[in-house]
Amino acid sequence: MSPPPAPAFSYGPLTLTDLVRYAGAAGDFNRLHHDDAYARAAGLPGVMAHGMLSAGLLGSFVTRWFGAGCVRRFKVRFREKVFLGDRLSAEGRVVGAVEGGYALELALKRDDGVAVVTGTAEVAYP
Amino acid sequence: MSDFLAEWVVPVDWMKVRDFARAVHDDHAAAEPPVPPPTFPIVLSSDFVERLVTALLPLDRSRTVHGEQEYVYHRPLRVGERLRCRARILSDTTKAGRRGGQMRIFVVEVELAEAEGGVVVGYERMTSIETAGLAEGG
Repeated sequence: MSPPPAPAFSYGPLTLTDLVRYAGAAGDFNRLHHDDAYARAAGLPGVMAHGMLSAGLLGSFVTRWFGAGCVRRFKVRFREKVFLGDRLSAEGRVVGAVEGGYALELALKRDDGVAVVTGTAEVAYP
Repeated sequence: MSDFLAEWVVPVDWMKVRDFARAVHDDHAAAEPPVPPPTFPIVLSSDFVERLVTALLPLDRSRTVHGEQEYVYHRPLRVGERLRCRARILSDTTKAGRRGGQMRIFVVEVELAEAEGGVVVGYERMTSIETAGLAEGG
């Protein structure tokens, strides 16, 4: 059976509410992600999105593609910081078959085409 | 296996899963029960990570960046089950930073197992980097 085509997945522009919702849901209250003065004092242009929010969006792309509970392995690398106002879209391709599923390459990109998170996954697909 | 830094038992709570799934815009957030998204275990380990960063290591957060994150599942997590989580440091290395100073890279692994019986269902691994200067990664 051939894999389904990759679905469209995009999100944004990111708001402070998105970051606060993620902070509360994940239990991650690092001030870099909600305290503008603190973020600027750390040398950033403003509050930065959680890397794990971007990772989570990429995970949601995979579950939209192959279904809930499909993931056997999911690994991401954080490449660029994400800030308020950024729009993100996911891309992926099947790079091979594994026992009972597929191996994927993944990227979450900003509107300017820069990949902020890249990753690989293995999914079960009957 | 005496090298675990911490061990705790947590339920995979319906409402925590739903709220997390909504926060990452997972299509399956409204399912009954909701299905834990791939990165959901970060919720189960957040208290430990907070303690690790602020007390156990500790790290300067203003110059610490998240490098990589990995999940391995032998089966999907299920809402309502209780998991035994055990955390350990897989590696902790120091090397010269690009602009001088020392850069510290460490990898933490959280093993997720059934609380009753101890069957391992998966792993979470996170790589963090305490940079020599200001935060410059993701």
